[in-house]
Amino acid sequence: MAQRHILFTFNRAPYGSVYYTEGLRAAVGVTSGIDEHTVDLLYLGDGVNFALKDVDRTDSLKYLVTLANLGTKLKVEKESLDERCINEADLAGDVEVIRRADALDLVRRADLTIDF
Amino acid sequence: MSNLYLIDQSIGGNALALAAGDSDAVVVLVQDGVYLDVSQLGKAGRPVYAIKRDIERRGLEKRVPGEVKRIGFDDLVDLIIENKVVNFA
Repeated sequence: MAQRHILFTFNRAPYGSVYYTEGLRAAVGVTSGIDEHTVDLLYLGDGVNFALKDVDRTDSLKYLVTLANLGTKLKVEKESLDERCINEADLAGDVEVIRRADALDLVRRADLTIDF
Repeated sequence: MSNLYLIDQSIGGNALALAAGDSDAVVVLVQDGVYLDVSQLGKAGRPVYAIKRDIERRGLEKRVPGEVKRIGFDDLVDLIIENKVVNFA
């Protein structure tokens, strides 16, 4: 198997489910092993709530640190923020806000897109 | 090769928003995804499919627009093999 580029989308609000942590765990997992796949992380819809700066990251911090060390940035769709009246000033410092057109470019560049 | 969006309802809105802007999008509605309103995609000329059995089980045959092509699981397998999967299911 060859190296692949995988887009992980996070579509659900943090807490109340295991999606937001399991998705990060999966992202770390695919970057490991022989093939060392590369990843992008994109927060869409209610998933953008994870990007709020006051969210408790106790459960996800170790994954985020690992992914940050790999140079992976958390990307958040601006349209999803706007629909929820979330200002960029309310976001954590390690997230990058991108427009839907740029999110679509991530889909195009990826060999595979997986949702959480 | 197109981008094959597999869409269930729970996060379907996020997927439809992306697919609407993707000129290479092919959409397949699965499970509760058959409840989604895909009229905008149809107007934009995006091919939209739905699993026939999922429509039938929910009693939606008359409610899902005729433009949505009904397919079976064997057809779905062919689409998955022929295209790049963008999974939202």
